[in-house]
Amino acid sequence: MTAIPITSSTENESTRTLRHVFSVIVRDPLSLISTIIIVLFVLIAIFANQIAPYPLEGAGKTNADNSLLSPSSEHLLGTDKLGRDMLSRIIVGARPALIVPIGVVFFAILIGTPLGALAGYKGGWIDEVIMRITDLFLAFPSLLLAMAITSAMGRGLDKAAIALVVSWWPWYTRIARGVAVSLRQRYFVEAAQAVGVSDAVIIFRHILPNTISPILVQATVDLGTVILAMGGLAFLGLGTQPPLPDWGLMVSEGRELILNQWWVATYAGLAIFIVVLAFNLLGDTLRDIFDPRQYK
Amino acid sequence: MKRFTLFVSLLVALSVILSACAPATEAPAAEAPAEQPAAAPTAMPEPTEAPPPAPKVLKIANTANITTWDPVASFSTEAAYMANVYEQLLRINPPGSAEKYAPLLATSWKSNEDGTAWTFNLREGVIFHDGEPMNADAVVKSLDAARTSGGASFIWWMVDSIEAVDDLTVQFNLTSSAPIDLIASSLYGAWIVSPKALDAAAADENYWANGVEAGTGPYMIESYTPDQEIVFQKFENYWGGFTDKNYDTVLVQIVPEALTQQQMLEGGDVDLVTRVPAENYDSFRNNPDYTFLEEPSFFNYVGYFNTLRAPLDNVKVRQALSYAIPYDDIIKIGAKGLGTQSRGPVPAGVWPWSPDVPQYTYDLDKARELLKEAGHEGGGFSMRITYAAENDTEAAFVPLIKDSFAQIGVDATVEAIGFSQQWDEAKSDPANAQDMFIVLYWPTYSDAGSDNLWSLFYYTEKPFFNLSYWNNETYNTTLDEAIGSTVTDPATSQVKYVDAMKLLVDEAPGVFFFDTKAVFIIPNSIEGFQYNLNYPFVQYFFYQLSPAQ
Amino acid sequence: MRHIEFILRRLVTSIFVLLGVSVITFFIARVVPTDAAAQYIGPKARPEEIERVRIKLGLDKPLPVQYAIYMGELLHGDLGNSISTKRPITQELADRIPATMELLLVGMFIAVLLGVPIGVLSARWSGKLPDLFIRLVSIIGVSMPAFFLGLLLQIIFFRNLDLLPLAGRLDSDMRFVSPVTDITGFILLDSLLTQNWVALKDAFLHIILPAFTLAAYPIGLIARMTRAAMLEVLEQDYIRTARAYGIKDRIVIYLYALKNAISPTLTVIGLTFAFALTGTFFVEIIFNWPGLGLFTTRSLLNLDYPAIMGMTLLGATGYVLINLIVDVIQSWIDPRVSLH
Repeated sequence: MTAIPITSSTENESTRTLRHVFSVIVRDPLSLISTIIIVLFVLIAIFANQIAPYPLEGAGKTNADNSLLSPSSEHLLGTDKLGRDMLSRIIVGARPALIVPIGVVFFAILIGTPLGALAGYKGGWIDEVIMRITDLFLAFPSLLLAMAITSAMGRGLDKAAIALVVSWWPWYTRIARGVAVSLRQRYFVEAAQAVGVSDAVIIFRHILPNTISPILVQATVDLGTVILAMGGLAFLGLGTQPPLPDWGLMVSEGRELILNQWWVATYAGLAIFIVVLAFNLLGDTLRDIFDPRQYK
Repeated sequence: MKRFTLFVSLLVALSVILSACAPATEAPAAEAPAEQPAAAPTAMPEPTEAPPPAPKVLKIANTANITTWDPVASFSTEAAYMANVYEQLLRINPPGSAEKYAPLLATSWKSNEDGTAWTFNLREGVIFHDGEPMNADAVVKSLDAARTSGGASFIWWMVDSIEAVDDLTVQFNLTSSAPIDLIASSLYGAWIVSPKALDAAAADENYWANGVEAGTGPYMIESYTPDQEIVFQKFENYWGGFTDKNYDTVLVQIVPEALTQQQMLEGGDVDLVTRVPAENYDSFRNNPDYTFLEEPSFFNYVGYFNTLRAPLDNVKVRQALSYAIPYDDIIKIGAKGLGTQSRGPVPAGVWPWSPDVPQYTYDLDKARELLKEAGHEGGGFSMRITYAAENDTEAAFVPLIKDSFAQIGVDATVEAIGFSQQWDEAKSDPANAQDMFIVLYWPTYSDAGSDNLWSLFYYTEKPFFNLSYWNNETYNTTLDEAIGSTVTDPATSQVKYVDAMKLLVDEAPGVFFFDTKAVFIIPNSIEGFQYNLNYPFVQYFFYQLSPAQ
Repeated sequence: MRHIEFILRRLVTSIFVLLGVSVITFFIARVVPTDAAAQYIGPKARPEEIERVRIKLGLDKPLPVQYAIYMGELLHGDLGNSISTKRPITQELADRIPATMELLLVGMFIAVLLGVPIGVLSARWSGKLPDLFIRLVSIIGVSMPAFFLGLLLQIIFFRNLDLLPLAGRLDSDMRFVSPVTDITGFILLDSLLTQNWVALKDAFLHIILPAFTLAAYPIGLIARMTRAAMLEVLEQDYIRTARAYGIKDRIVIYLYALKNAISPTLTVIGLTFAFALTGTFFVEIIFNWPGLGLFTTRSLLNLDYPAIMGMTLLGATGYVLINLIVDVIQSWIDPRVSLH
């Protein structure tokens, strides 16, 4: 039923879990394809400058003479208003599209998990205070909160990222707290307490490691959602600002052109869709393996 | 599933309760058309009988939103609608007309010799939409409100007092000479409003909120649904009268998206639109069903250099950068070719524009040479350029500047920030402000001398609109002289203005990108459209339009 | 007794949550990076005029005082006036609630109508090819950016097939052809009540694309959750027993299992409502739907702080309320809920 290790010897457990995950993924065609897609996009993001046919245009260099060319052998996905190669824009745009959401989820975990572990482990008023604050943030539809914060800080990729961290961390606090509560009464925690191990050590040695797998599953699913949210914020004009390449922004820039220059919006929209789909498929499989819902 | 139904009905109940709190603004809208139910346009008219003619309806899709229905405070896009409802004392005609002004609520006017006292004779028998008579007291009350608390109150800065000489005569007493005829024709801050409504608005700050109006114009607002539509009906008692060619009803739909507007126009949902994506102009330009008009406009794009900061405090550097602006590409990309490179900050066609004012060319060699002379060979400095994130045109052309500056070794970062935010930044502390700041500017009324030239570059201790912080003694005195002689000696005034503009271009405290063009796509089914450069926010005066015969 | 106690407890915590929400919202809205007074009066105002507006709007007072004033007015149903439209926020919101609610309800109706059966079927064929296919379809639903799906649907159904209207709630002609009497603000309902079939058909055609765009995400979410809940229930002893007794598979699945899987599904539907609410931001922009989403996005871009505050408060209140309702209903269905 559960993959949460009962002992605190996480070393062997995590290798075993990983192997298990790997074997499931290899057997399930959808997860296999989605893993390949993710790896592919990560490689594209890393080697963007080597892969993109016009890396400078991808980063924003303009070419007024090539404005809005339709797809051709020269420009496989056409060019945008400023004459930049769309394929290069999308390839270079893979960087912020992947890196920023990973950063958002990472920082949300960094803030949320220790707080949740602390709340669940200590209980009492600490738990009460932390969880009520969490409730406050969870009382907003997360995208609405992120939109409000972004606009208050004044648009931009960095601001959108901060806003998303602020609206996302409470989810991890909840998960980590669930794990911590279930572990509090376990014998190895009680044993550690009995021999006088400090709370901080118990949390870091025994509680946090056990939150890793449910958190990772949640993180995989969240990555897709955060990519969507980043794209959405950019589409609304709150996120990334030009001339930085951003898929959501490309869709928004291409909206007016959809009748005659459909390529500007379509391919960027497809890119978002494919990446999010891959993360969701993978997350779905992982969730079936770990079933982290029991911690929510 | 039963419980889900309960859940849904709870929500429905909740939202009904919430929406019931809304005042019934739309009620009158639903009534009126019911009075003319037989307006089915498809029905074939019976040849024997003569049924009452179907009301003529004009349907327009407009991007303009309403920021206020308060005619005193109004200083934004809602003028597109309010200019059909309210009137000024007089209207300025398009450039090149035989008469400079068309009389509206005033029939004649004159000034004393030095232009410090003006008398206006008012039209007799005009009534407001609420039935109040339009007279000298109404004019005094409206304009006093406009100059003390109006959105564009500053246009009246030189007015000392306005008095009613008799029931139909108004006198303006000024502290310094100024063209009151021109100012009174301003789109903003010069509408005459019913005194009864002004009193009501003073007592209730939400008086105007739902599209209440009290003007004298040819059309009345029948209903207003925010973000959706405004319905206008003709005002039967309009002083100018109606012929059987005028539209009875004008239905404006607020459609912010250019592409949607295009679809609506092509699909026959509307008769007129205000915006079509520039990329799709060609589908109309060569289409025999439409007249495609490219007209000069009131608007231009200007960039301020922060002249307090090194190296931009060096005139040679500013000149170098002015030579490094790819003007043609900017017009091509930013305006789809529909623009002309500016000659200083005065848009072409607006007084005191002059073809004698020089322009910079796009010349990177010259730019490099000037940088060298300034002691910045090969550039080597960086700049932060900001522009309004709301402005698609700026978003399109600003990256071109960055790339061009890179070619002369200047490293520019461009930043899109909120329009009001960028003003705040520039106005707060020049030391921290952006290095270059790009704006779309227009004169409040048809005088770019006392507006553009004064507002944008005249030095005041606390910067008002001179956000280049440039302070040039000669420029300031020349401008003072030009403004002072506008009424008494327009020819001298023009000469002084041209001198000031030449100095401005040479000193380059800013970059003068391009004057935009206004595009109108008029279907052949509509006639009477006449473009008036002086009222850029009013795309259509409904009263001029009629169905083609 | 336990029910009432539970409901009361949830009510009290909800009120505290909303109070906290108002503080956060107020803080967020007041740090907007612009001078609200200058914005209120317009770009060309003189400094004296800006000061006058600052005092009028109460922006010269210290923040805690401003908050106290704001909350005091809020209790009287006054959320202040919008900076960009100068109209009372309560009115701006109330004017737009029917349009958004109509879209939300129709969207959610589609989502439940499609999502639950998809989830059930998927669970029934668990692990087989139909399951794989259905899973893929439902995940596509949650992965498709609404702003992209809307565009695609417009291209297909308006531009290419010319079957459905591009945008808006009604044809602009409707006010002349067959005007809708405003009763509830829900055009579908109003035209039904007044037996205005022409308008009903037109309103129906207009809502299809936006409602479907909005529903895509909830369909996926609901289908996934229904599937998971069904799988869990199907593993339980009494279902196995029922099967062992030879009760038909179909009855087991549709009657016994689905009934027990409703509770978690309901939670998801509640949650999905919140997602759908943010979904309307994109859908309303693309389809020019005159609701809360369009208003909110514009207010955010214009830094219209009273509007941002009003909308965020309304969104959070709606969210808290939906959660409350779901919890209460759940405690009816499944008394175990009120125990934790």
